[in-house]
Amino acid sequence: MGQFGRLLGYLKPYRVRVSMAVFLLLCNSLTPIAVPKIVQYVIDDVIPHKRYAALNTVFFMIVALYLARGIMSFCLNYLIGWLGQRIVFDLRFQSYRHLNRLSLSYYDTRQTGKIMARLMGDIDFIQQMVSGGFVQFLADLFSEFAVLVVLFRMQPRLGLIAVCVIPFYVLNYKMFIKHIRPLSEQLREKWDLMLGVLQEKLAGISVVKAFVREEYETDRFMDTVRENFDIGMTQMRLNRKLSAYAQIIRALGTGMVLWYGGILVLHRHLLVGELLAFNALIAQLYDPAVRVVDFNVTLQWTASAMERVFETLDTRPEIVDAQNAVTIKSMQGAVELEAVRFGYDRDQPVLRDVTLRVKPGEIIAIVGPSGAGKTTLVNLIARFYDVNSGRVLIDGVDLRNVRLESVRRQIGIVSQESLLFSVSLRENIKYGFHDATDDQILQAAKNADLHNFILNLPYGYDTKIGEDGIKLSVGQKQRMSIARATLTNPRILILDDATSALDSKTEANVQAALERLMKGRTCFVIAHRLSTIMNADRIVVMDGGRIVDVGTHAELVARTGVYQNLYNEQYKSAQTHEFESLFA
Amino acid sequence: MGNFVRFLREIRQYARLMAVIAFLTVINSALTLPPPMILRYLTDHLMQRTSVNLPGVFTLITGIAIGSSFVGYWLTYSITLLGQRFKQDMRRKLYAHMQTLSLGFFEKSQTGKLMSNITNDVASLDQLIGGGFVNVIQDTVMLTAVLFIVFNIHAKLALIALAVYPLYILNYLAFIGRIKKTSSDVRDQREVLYGDLQEKLAGVQVVRSYAKERYEVRQFVGETRNLLGLNVRMTSLSTGLWTIAEFIGSGCGTGLLLWYGGKLVINGELSAGSLMAFYGYISGYIYAPTVRMIQLNDQIARTNTALGRIFYTLDTKPNVNDKPDALVLPDVRGDVRYEGVWFEYETGQPVIKGVDLDVKAGQMVAFVGQSGSGKTTMVNLLQRHYDVTGGRLTIDGHDIRDVQLKSVRQQVGVVIQETTLFNTTIRENIRYGRLDATQEEIQAAAEAANIAHVIEALPRGYDTRIGEHGIKLSGGEKQRIAIARAILSDPRILILDEATSSLDSETEGLIQEALDRLLVGRTSFIVAHRLSTIVKADKIVVMERGVIRESGSHHELLAADGIYAGLYNQQFKVALEGQAESPQAIAARAEL
Repeated sequence: MGQFGRLLGYLKPYRVRVSMAVFLLLCNSLTPIAVPKIVQYVIDDVIPHKRYAALNTVFFMIVALYLARGIMSFCLNYLIGWLGQRIVFDLRFQSYRHLNRLSLSYYDTRQTGKIMARLMGDIDFIQQMVSGGFVQFLADLFSEFAVLVVLFRMQPRLGLIAVCVIPFYVLNYKMFIKHIRPLSEQLREKWDLMLGVLQEKLAGISVVKAFVREEYETDRFMDTVRENFDIGMTQMRLNRKLSAYAQIIRALGTGMVLWYGGILVLHRHLLVGELLAFNALIAQLYDPAVRVVDFNVTLQWTASAMERVFETLDTRPEIVDAQNAVTIKSMQGAVELEAVRFGYDRDQPVLRDVTLRVKPGEIIAIVGPSGAGKTTLVNLIARFYDVNSGRVLIDGVDLRNVRLESVRRQIGIVSQESLLFSVSLRENIKYGFHDATDDQILQAAKNADLHNFILNLPYGYDTKIGEDGIKLSVGQKQRMSIARATLTNPRILILDDATSALDSKTEANVQAALERLMKGRTCFVIAHRLSTIMNADRIVVMDGGRIVDVGTHAELVARTGVYQNLYNEQYKSAQTHEFESLFA
Repeated sequence: MGNFVRFLREIRQYARLMAVIAFLTVINSALTLPPPMILRYLTDHLMQRTSVNLPGVFTLITGIAIGSSFVGYWLTYSITLLGQRFKQDMRRKLYAHMQTLSLGFFEKSQTGKLMSNITNDVASLDQLIGGGFVNVIQDTVMLTAVLFIVFNIHAKLALIALAVYPLYILNYLAFIGRIKKTSSDVRDQREVLYGDLQEKLAGVQVVRSYAKERYEVRQFVGETRNLLGLNVRMTSLSTGLWTIAEFIGSGCGTGLLLWYGGKLVINGELSAGSLMAFYGYISGYIYAPTVRMIQLNDQIARTNTALGRIFYTLDTKPNVNDKPDALVLPDVRGDVRYEGVWFEYETGQPVIKGVDLDVKAGQMVAFVGQSGSGKTTMVNLLQRHYDVTGGRLTIDGHDIRDVQLKSVRQQVGVVIQETTLFNTTIRENIRYGRLDATQEEIQAAAEAANIAHVIEALPRGYDTRIGEHGIKLSGGEKQRIAIARAILSDPRILILDEATSSLDSETEGLIQEALDRLLVGRTSFIVAHRLSTIVKADKIVVMERGVIRESGSHHELLAADGIYAGLYNQQFKVALEGQAESPQAIAARAEL
């Protein structure tokens, strides 16, 4: 219930509109009662007394009634629609702003799809609840109450007959829905399963074809389709039975009312028009009753949607600027790690006691087997995570005491996966530096050996990439992210396997550009190809979360250890041949 | 319209079921007609205090309800059955057909689009069956019957009460254009928002590294605000439409009816019961069917596009077909010959230009060259994903176009760079190419692929599920499972698209070892990126823009001092320089 209280909090700024809506709702749910009463008046009063003039009044009454109803319901719907959408807006805005404050560790443990589902689906659901379910519930409650009052005032015994059918109607619904709901759930699961099979096999079609499994896959797919078919049919049958019984129960109610009402009319306890009005009004009794009774299910669903949304909002960002955080205006680029310990999961340290001192402008290569902690090390320098113990210092200031934005703006990162956005190439390149001039963008593209490629595209720098645009190869993407990083002119440059997907010729071109760029900046280069590493001022060899060796290429290759092993393995097969050819 | 003719042809096999549906629909609509007439009987007799059969009224009302719910049940049953059957057929057809299409088709189409073809497009056919077919019958029956009845009761009253009918339709038409426009705007804006969000959440690291959080939030607020505006506009429009419609139909219509009908009753020209029946029919039976009839147009337009997409896929011809008299390729030794092979994906743009290549059984061929040089196309042709456009390609002397496609692919195995494994158990993945493999064979394959120890260390061993609901494997582990899969299917000819993605040297060593075992005794074609792999090949083929520029062994090519020698030196230049700088390095190497 606390969640609903919190949701009401979101309505608070709009309380005037909310109370207006409730008032309109109240008036509006009374109007359907009026028409049967007018009909009753015509039958019982106007016609027997031959009051022609009253018919004109009746006409204007009905038109006026509907005019009023129209105006009210328009205002009501507008208000409700606006309120619902406004809540959506407020919640989405808050959630997204909050998501942008949360640290990367939040994203590490969650799939993008799940986060999306909260931002879109769950919030939409809350909106439907606010402007659909809840309003409908109130309206049903009002009108049910009003109809009952009118019925019992007209003829209590007849009212009792009409009411005594309602429990059966509700019971019938409850009994069936108990079985129908799990089926819908199942149906959704099966459908997802089918989508999963489809997605996987269409994306992996080359494997299917290579192993000649086309017919096998078609049969497997049809199995999932058939399961959907079976559940769908069962669900339909239950649904249909529910409504069939409901129809019969209603007919029983109507039939009994007309029967007993007819007797009352014959005994002059009731007028014909009253019976007709009665008949019209009981039709408004059954469905609202079911909806009112069923409202708790909607409530439960909404509660769990709200829980998920609020869970996001309640997650504390791990990395926040300290109160007295300082801004590093122009960074020198000295980086210092002091006895740094860190684990994504505190129980499983990834970095154990890492100490490293890097002078401004120094180029540091980091090598080691996968899982050694190389990427983690550079992630700490960019403060994507905070250390568990020890310190990371930039220009002698502990990172935790610096305004995050001022640090990140001066660090350039080219990571393993080159993530680009579905906008033009130009906008992608200048993502980190929106005021870049065209010349600067061109220069960045040239540095990444992309300029000629881009010029040959039909729209040049304005070519869109992604869904509706062109597809870039992995290597091209990598070069794009290099161009993007260089444009910001960072003081510290982190290249995390930045050239791994390039063929050797392109790599050589990009490498040359990168070397020029690295001049005068502090650089951290993670690479597997030793050829990329050898130009570093110092090579840091990592293994099992520790720095096991530091030195230049020449120093390290002469020492037995991890580096020498890596070096040897990579060159072993090539070297043997090389020596053979030298001796040949 | 052609789409619909074809749709009818597809659905014709269900003609009997459709006849049943039509019959039930007519009965069902007919059963909705009596209630106002019962009310008329009751009102008239009660007002005149003549004998009235009240138990009869009760029986009739409940009887009609029972009958109508019975018919309704079977009607819905038949409609659902028809819809589901038909959709099942179409899905089967589409999926089976897609499987026969060439890789080129899949490269051009996004997986998502193909999926929506099979799921959403097919699902929308329901509208044509339930919404189109059934509603048309039901509404036609109802409208004609009700109009007939009311005009029969009192034609003049009917004309007056329905005087507002044209206004009702006009109002609908006036709004509906704008509503459709806005609703499609809403959808577009939602998609923009959705796409943007997806991208920025998946790329959160980039957003963070450039400290762009506030910028992104601003962008997001702008787009959400647009959506808010559109949604509110949508609400106002549709509420506007329906409140005005209610005012015209229920307000003015009922007003006119009671006004003029009341006069008629007072004058004795009409019974009060007939007025009530009139009221029942006009308020409940005219307007809703009319709106549905108008909406039919849209429904047809919508399903037409879906039908178009479905038939487009079904009409796409596979570009590789078995000849009618194609024989099964017998078990081969593995001699492969490219004889003057030409190939173009699109006419006029040859990708392979007259290539000759002779590979003896058991030889290892490495294709080298820049991307776009035609390496991958060469191996695609060998798997017969495409047919050559000139020359021929033979395996053991059989032109692969003359033998059954299946039998070629069964003997040509592939290990590709982007390893695709499926979301099932490790066992299922390994034996994908040979479903009848025994546990021992599976284990042996895993063993040979250097992955057995990893699998056996898992709590559930070979029954461990991988992918979404199971464990996550590293890139190197995936590659080794794919190698095990290839080893188990035991092809004579093997195609290997070498991974460029960086693995650490230890893993790479394991993979290399597994590959070496896989390659033994098979004719193999490697699209190679690493010189360390290439140097081992019996034949290195250097390709450039669709022609073979050099071919020969590593030593031959080095001696020839051509393109290959250039590439070779490039990759090793730095290493060689490093060696020159440091005497220790030479010492280190000499130890080997």
